[in-house]
Parts: sequence; C-alpha cells; structure tokens
Amino acid sequence: MQGNKEEIVTTKSRCSFFVVGVFLFLSFAATFDAAAAPADISFFKGKTVTYIVSTKTGGGYDTYARLVAKYMQKYLPGSKVIVKNVPGAGHIVGANTIYAAAPDGLTIGTFNTGLVYGQILGQEGIQFDLNKFSWIGKANSETRVVIVGAKTPYKTFKDLQDSKVPIKMPSSGVGSEDHNETLILAAALPVKFQPIPGYSGKEAEMAILRGEVPAVLGSYTGLYGLILAKEGRPVLQYGSENKIPGLENVPHINSMKLSPASRNMVNLVNAIDIIGRLTAAPPGMPAGRLEVLRDAYKKALTDPDLIKDAKKSSLDLDPAYGEEVQKLVAASINQPAENLKMLRDIIK
Amino acid sequence: MEVWDAVWAGFAGATGWPAFGLMLMTIPIGLVIGMIPGLGGNLGLALLIPFTFGMDPTSGFAFLLGMHAVVHTGGSIPAILFDTPGTGPNAATCIEGFPMAQKGEAGRALGAALTSSMVGGVLGAIFMAMVIPIVRPMVLAFGPPEFFMLAMMGVAFISLMSGNSILKGLMAGGMGFIISFVGMDPQTGVVRFSFGVLNLMDGINIVTVVVGLFAVAEVIDMGLKKGGIAHGKSPNLKGSGVMQGVKDCFTNWWLLLRCSLIGQMIAMIPGLGGDAAAFICYGHALQTTKRKNEFGKGCVEGVIATDAAHNSKEGGGLIPTLAFGVPGSSGMAILLGAFLVLGVSPGKEMFSDHLDLVFSMVWVLVFANIIAVAICLPLAGSMAKITFLRTSVMIPFILSFGLLGSYLTTSRISDILITVLFGVIGYGMKKFDYARGPLILGIVLGKIAENALHVSLSLYGMSFVFRPIASVILLITLTTIFFPVYQAHAKKKKLMEAAK
Repeated sequence: MQGNKEEIVTTKSRCSFFVVGVFLFLSFAATFDAAAAPADISFFKGKTVTYIVSTKTGGGYDTYARLVAKYMQKYLPGSKVIVKNVPGAGHIVGANTIYAAAPDGLTIGTFNTGLVYGQILGQEGIQFDLNKFSWIGKANSETRVVIVGAKTPYKTFKDLQDSKVPIKMPSSGVGSEDHNETLILAAALPVKFQPIPGYSGKEAEMAILRGEVPAVLGSYTGLYGLILAKEGRPVLQYGSENKIPGLENVPHINSMKLSPASRNMVNLVNAIDIIGRLTAAPPGMPAGRLEVLRDAYKKALTDPDLIKDAKKSSLDLDPAYGEEVQKLVAASINQPAENLKMLRDIIK
Repeated sequence: MEVWDAVWAGFAGATGWPAFGLMLMTIPIGLVIGMIPGLGGNLGLALLIPFTFGMDPTSGFAFLLGMHAVVHTGGSIPAILFDTPGTGPNAATCIEGFPMAQKGEAGRALGAALTSSMVGGVLGAIFMAMVIPIVRPMVLAFGPPEFFMLAMMGVAFISLMSGNSILKGLMAGGMGFIISFVGMDPQTGVVRFSFGVLNLMDGINIVTVVVGLFAVAEVIDMGLKKGGIAHGKSPNLKGSGVMQGVKDCFTNWWLLLRCSLIGQMIAMIPGLGGDAAAFICYGHALQTTKRKNEFGKGCVEGVIATDAAHNSKEGGGLIPTLAFGVPGSSGMAILLGAFLVLGVSPGKEMFSDHLDLVFSMVWVLVFANIIAVAICLPLAGSMAKITFLRTSVMIPFILSFGLLGSYLTTSRISDILITVLFGVIGYGMKKFDYARGPLILGIVLGKIAENALHVSLSLYGMSFVFRPIASVILLITLTTIFFPVYQAHAKKKKLMEAAK
C-alpha cells in the first residue's frame, strides 16, 4: 500500500513534473522564439536605424555605407535605415560614437580597420575596445600592393630587399596606416623601407612619377591608375589573396619564406586589410537582435541588385559575416604579449 | 593634321547625341551642388557615376564633366550674396565679393564672377589642350621644394593684403599659420593645439573659418549698425549692374587671362590644391593692380582674379588624371573610378589612341562653362536684389545659411561653435582694422608650407633651395619683398637730395 501510495505520489509528481516541464519548455521556447528572428525582426517595424559613417560624405566609406544601408533596409521590413556622417580624428570619433550607443540595434556603423593599430598602441582619444563590438560583417577585402616606379632599376621585390641604400617610401604621416605598414613590412620581410611622412593623398603617387621616391605602397584600388598608365610596376601584393586580373604574376606576401615572428607581423597586416568596409554595432547587444541584423546584412550583401549597384560604382565586394568577422578581429588584436611589444617597438 | 582630326572628332563627340543632352542635364545639377555649401563636386561625382554604367566613354565623361566643370560657378553666388562660400575655393571670392554687395554692387559682382568663371573655364580647357605635348616635363618639374617656394611666394602676398598696417597683417597671417597647424602633425604623429578636443584632431576646415570670419562677423556688424547688406545704397548702377560686371571682365582682360593661366598651372600640379589657386591669383591681382587702396573694400578685380582661377583649374586638374592616372584633386580621384566603369585606361595611350576622347572632354568643359553662365546671368539681377532687403530679414537668412554651410561642409556640429568663435574674432578684426585676408591665406598655405618643407629636407637636405625652379621662385619672392623697400628708399634719397 505504502509502496503503492508512494508510487501514486511519485506518478502524480511525475505527472506534475511533466506538466511543469512541458509548460517550462513551452515558455522557454516562447522566450527563445521571441529572441529569434520572427519576433525580433518585428521590432524594427516603424523604427529608424542609424548607420554611422566615420568619414564625411563622398568618400569610399560613405559610398559603401550608403549601399549597405539601402539594402539592409530592404531586409529589415518596415524600418528606415539612414546614414549619418560622424567624421573626426581619423575615424576615432565615429567609432567612439558607435561604441557608446545604446545596444538596441538601432545604431550600427562603419570605420577604418586601421584603428586596430591605434588600439594596440593606445592612441589618444580611443574610447572603445574593438574586441567588444558586436560585429555584423564586412563588405570587402583589400588587396594592397608595393609599386616601384617604371624608371627605377628594381624589377622584383627581391631587388628592393637587396638594395644597399634605404628605399624612401612616401607616407601620409606618423601614426597613419600606411606609415605603420611601411615600418612593419620593413622589419618583417626585411627590407630597408624608410618612410618619408608628409605626403598627403595623391602626392605619394606624384612622388613616384617625379622619381623622388622609388616605391610606394597602398591599396590596389588607390594605385591602379599608376599601374594602368604603366607608370608603376607592382612587385608585391599583400592583404587579400583574391585574384585580381593584371596581378597574376605578382608574388603574394604569403608565399614568402619568413621567420615565425615575422609571419605573425605579416598576418596582422593581412588581417587588417582583409576586414575591409566593416559594419559593427555597440557591445552588449541582445543575441536575438544581433542575429536579425547579421541576417539582414548577409541577405543584403548577397542581393543581386546590390551586386549590380556595386559593379556600377566599381566597388569590389568580398563579404564575410558575423562570427567570422568577430574571429578575424579578435585574432588580429589578441596577440601574444611579445608580439605586441615587438609591434610597439617597430611602430613607435 | 592628326591632331586637328582629333579636335574635330572630339567636337563631334561632345555635340553628338546623347553626349550633349546628358551634359545639359548635369549642368544645373553642378550649379545647385556648388551653391549649397557642403555639397561639393566630389559628392556630385559619387552620386552620378553609377548612372554612367553602360554609357559610351564620350557620353559618360560629358555627363560627369558637365556637372563638375560648373560647381565653382555656382559656388560664387552665395559667396557674394551671403558671404558664405559654396565650396572651398570660393572662399577667396568672399574677400571682395561681399564688400561689393555691401556697396550696392551685388549685381556687378555676380556679373563679373560669372563671366570670369566662364572665361576662366574656357581658357583652362584650351590651355589644357595646348599643353598636352609638353605635359610630362611641366607637371613633373614641380616637387615638394617648389611647393614650399610657391607657398612662400603666397606668404609674401600677406604684405599686400595687409591694408593699412603690415604689422597687423603679419600678425593675422601668423595666426593663420598657427590655426593651420591644429590637428595631427604628420611628422611626429602628435596632436597639436587641440586642447584635448577630439574633433580638432583633423584640423580646422577652411570653410568653417571663412563663414565665421566673414559671414558671421558681418552679421554682427549689420546687427549693430541696422540697414540692409547694401545699407542706404540704392542700386546706383544702370539696371542691376550685372552688365557692368560683364564689361569689367573685358576691361580687365589681361588680368583675367593671367589668372586663368595661373589657376590652370596650379591645378595641373597635384599638391597645392584649388583653395591655394584662388588665393594665389587674388594675391597676384593685388600685386599688379593700380587700385591697391580699393582692395578689401569690394574691388571687382579681386572677384575676377579668384573666379577665373577656380574654374580654369578644372581643365588643369584633368591633366595628371589623364596622363599618369594620378588624380589632381579628390574629385578627380572619383573621376578616375569612372575610367574603370567606362573601360578606358589613363596614361600615355590616352594621348595617342584616345586623343579624340581627350578633346571631347576639352569641348565639354568649354560648352559647360558657357551654358552654365548663360543660365545664371539672366537670373543674376534678381538674385542681387536680395541684398537690398532689410537687415532684420537678412540676418536670420545669412546666419542660418552660413551656419548650415559650416555644418554641412564637415558634418560636425562642433564646427558651428568654431564658426561662431571665428565670427567674434572676425568682428574684432574688422573693428580694430586687422585685414582678414592674411589670416585665411595663412590657413591655406600653412599646412602646405610645413609639409613641403619637411619632405624637401628629408629628401634633399638644405640643398633643396638650389634646385633650379625652386631658386627662381625664391628670387621672384625676394624681389617682390625687397623691390618696394628699395624703391621707397630710393625715393626718399631723391627727395632728400632735392631738399638739399
């Protein structure tokens, strides 16, 4: 009897456990459901999403941002995605603004990946931690090139490395991305690059034409004019490994034999160039909402109309999404202490 | 003979269908973009380039250049009427343009600005066609040492712009230099004069300063004085004065021709920039004028010089883009993107295989400049009337237009504060008789001079001074400084002897 009663009780309690369990499961599922796509995508209905661009209107960042914003709006039904330019301090003000915004999904934005150097070196004014941003995706990978002037005696990158005299390289200024890259490549490859700061914008290319400097480095999209006009010969490419017509015979930095320490440095340079035209959101965003944004971003970047629009403006695309970008960023910043020390010594 | 064939082929291309129609479509866009501060030619190009997809190269460039050629033509209009430059290079137009409006000569200023823009633009295009054979040595002869010397030549103009007191002018110019140093120093990576304000790390934009120094300062002045911009002046010239302005351009044809040439030359050499071109021409006008005492108070020659410069530079800016694939300005950098969309490679082949395309661009520049002015001139008279409105009507208008312009140029709210600050400084300068031109000149030239000096020293050491062109420019500068001193001295000596 006793046993029976107990059994009944147990059965009863099992029953109630079961009911409670089902109830809990259902409610969990409901909560989970609320956090997942369908419920949270409705959050954006009638809302305005601000896409912050850390430069002024008209430039490359602005053009990519307007393209991405237009198509993200398409995949966040009922929403309005507006672009707001917050330039200042070489993208720092914009990045600070995105970082400090409420993580409700209504503020996202873009800035230069070169800020990785700024964070590693503890640059003045930085109020963000790139590790903590909620990464949504990136639209392009940058192929970068080292170009020698057409009239210089250098034919290959090896020739530059063998040079007895320092190779003067134009740079826009101490602390700028091209300046840092020049110094890192000089130390890692090694090659006797000597940056000459003070060349702003297109002045660097003019310096090649005038023969003031034998070589220049920069993004392929920035320098292809020189290559097309046969005024410069590309001798090395780094950053993205995507095949670019015309650069088939130019060796990639990844095929060079390097010491492990040098390889680490080069990997950092590559990583920063690969995360091009990124989109990020403030840290601490609810997982569900971030998922919706990532999803909309992915749908936008794979939309055939976006691809057509990008082609019309000659904007290259090489997108990556969510987690993958988060990992790329983390890998570039979270370097072992000795690497960081070496970097600081090189760039300083 | 081959060249003439290309000239005619280019003409046929530019006047053909649909190229001509496309150009007509984008000219008004260029004018409006120019008039609204903050919307420059760069943004215009970025917006228009997607539409060129699928066009043939001739039509594509007609479409883009039609807009880009006339941006500064539009930009002079708010500079004259509201003391707010539509684009950076139009800043120089404010110096004489607005004082003319204050004298009741807004129509004349507009007429002169528009006509000289047109002539400058047309001449710039023609010069561009003429220098094609010698473009390489000409453009490449100017490097950082020469930029430094050119900047120093500009600095020598401070003495001319100073008005009554050279000392005050030098103080203003020095202040301008210091302001140009605000922000990140490329040589050391250290931020200067930012007082910890992040937005100052990028430096201070020239439009932000000009709107404050001129527009806001004038508003303060007007508020304290009462009356319209052209207070107490009835339109004393026949009609609106627009035709008088047009005539002025022809009576000063020699100045117009020289400034068109200077503007085009400066634009051909990437590195100095359009802002500097307009100011150097202004300085040149001052140096050669017979009416020095009228400058700063609304002299039509100043308007002619600056406006010829900023439109002629569009032709010049195309040259390095076409010849070397190196854009002469940020606008040209965007245009270079269009080359890819349109499937044309810049470089030497441009001048051998695609010479007809080059000439079609020359023709587009010519037509666009003429058509733009044909659109604006008939409207100039009505636009000028705005300056005769009561102060109480004008002040809010100028103030909101100016502050909006300052904000739109940089998209930074904080820059409105800087503009207001410079408004107070500008009013003080006006009241205590400090010329404001030298301060602006200092800002425009400071950064160029500093960078060029550093780069020259690291490339050549002190011997950069002895590079041939650099030393010639230095000699000219020294002569312009010391010749008047010598003249004054000789005159004094003569008088002394006569007295004896």
